[in-house]
Amino acid sequence: MSAKSTVVLPGDEIPASSLPKSPNKNRPLTLGPGLRHIPPNTIATTVAGALATDSRKNAAWIEYNSGRYLPITGDLVIATVQTSAAESFNCHITPNTPFATLPHLAFEGVTRKTRPQLTFNSLVYARILNAGKDTSPEITCANPSTGKSEGLGPLKGGMVFKISLGMARRLLAGRKGGVTVLDGLSEKVGFEVAIGRNGVLWVDGGSVKTTLAVGRAVQEVDEQALGEKGQKKVVERVLKNL
Amino acid sequence: MAPEAVLSHLHRADGSATYTYNGYSIIGAVNGPIEVQRRDEMPEEATVEVNVRPAVGVGSPKERHLETLLHRTLQSIILTRSIPRTLVQITLQVRSLPADDTSTGVNTSLTLLPHLLHTSILALLSASIPLSTTLTAIPVAIPSSSKSAPLVSPTANDLLRAKPLRSIHVFAFSGDRKLLLNESDGAFSYEEWDEAYEAAEEVCCREGGVRLGEGMDVDMDVDMDGEGKVANLEAWLREVVKEKVGREQRWRVAT
Repeated sequence: MSAKSTVVLPGDEIPASSLPKSPNKNRPLTLGPGLRHIPPNTIATTVAGALATDSRKNAAWIEYNSGRYLPITGDLVIATVQTSAAESFNCHITPNTPFATLPHLAFEGVTRKTRPQLTFNSLVYARILNAGKDTSPEITCANPSTGKSEGLGPLKGGMVFKISLGMARRLLAGRKGGVTVLDGLSEKVGFEVAIGRNGVLWVDGGSVKTTLAVGRAVQEVDEQALGEKGQKKVVERVLKNL
Repeated sequence: MAPEAVLSHLHRADGSATYTYNGYSIIGAVNGPIEVQRRDEMPEEATVEVNVRPAVGVGSPKERHLETLLHRTLQSIILTRSIPRTLVQITLQVRSLPADDTSTGVNTSLTLLPHLLHTSILALLSASIPLSTTLTAIPVAIPSSSKSAPLVSPTANDLLRAKPLRSIHVFAFSGDRKLLLNESDGAFSYEEWDEAYEAAEEVCCREGGVRLGEGMDVDMDVDMDGEGKVANLEAWLREVVKEKVGREQRWRVAT
């Protein structure tokens, strides 16, 4: 997408000419965050941001990077365990929101006898199983169809860093997100990261110094919106001080 | 001069804005959607809570009145049904008022109201709360002498000089030119109200409604005219959002 994008305000109607036109008639138009369909055929925005479209997927959405994270099915999040109930853990995805439930048995290879003991403030890397607006969100640390963890589960050690929602999206988008700082750092130091769509970055570098250096570097790239060259400079500086 | 706006500058709030115009300065913060108290919970809608804090002292019935007006107006533009059983909390702290605000002889809650509305819409935009439309508001004062035209968006000094005033009106419009709120104080005829309404609509709404695609490329006539008044509030709001989006997307063009 080019930098010259259409800025929209809530209530703006998106004309048909701005929506993607798919050559495939069978693929219906997909509306992402920030857009709503008013029957019969009006598409209006609900948030302020930039209109983004993908003609291959026949999708349109609004890009914005502010506000609180709203759970969406399939997102990877880092949740904080608050309490343990009879059958499930009550977790927070963002502070001051209703609990998300994480069943005791939603971990890989867990039975009633061997369920994990997670205490207050433990972190879990989880996927959102369902996030309807009429129920409280449900999260899981195992793929419900295969029972495999696929990298999800309790996060031990390390430290969490707050990043913007847009940065979390970019980090998870891989090459398209244009974040190279982690690749650069990993050439010289070893560390483990987990990225939650709820704006949380978990880093474990083995030592406090590495953990902090990696987390701070990502936060710096986020705050200053650094490009490729800027990120390279950050990597060089961080590695020199380690 | 166009109103000045700074968005998302408070770190702890989900959305925030500081709005400065004609000697009024207001900080707004929005938290939401967050957990709602059981007794305020509504099964199919979000609860909207508005807190207005005065520049000096603690809240009085005047602030309660403003909160009620704001609550009703904002509830009608927030898509409360898309975030049911949650709370959207809007806190507005008046930071400063014009020096001669109290000596103008008009109802001070009416002169403050449009600025509170603007601050809250900016903070809501910053918090990305789903909205059905935007909002612009303006005060209009009608002087006693029948010859003089209505004063659109008068400063406190303008009001002082135009004394005695017959009536003061506040209008708020949605993005699609619909009247969202009208508060009037004083004696006025229907014709006078109509004249004030038209003057307000001209400043608040853009010609011919919303035109998409102009967004970024066309440079908009947001600047002020010779009198030092805002040319158009809808265009101003669009400019503020454009800046917000530009800041968020700056990584795309960064090297």
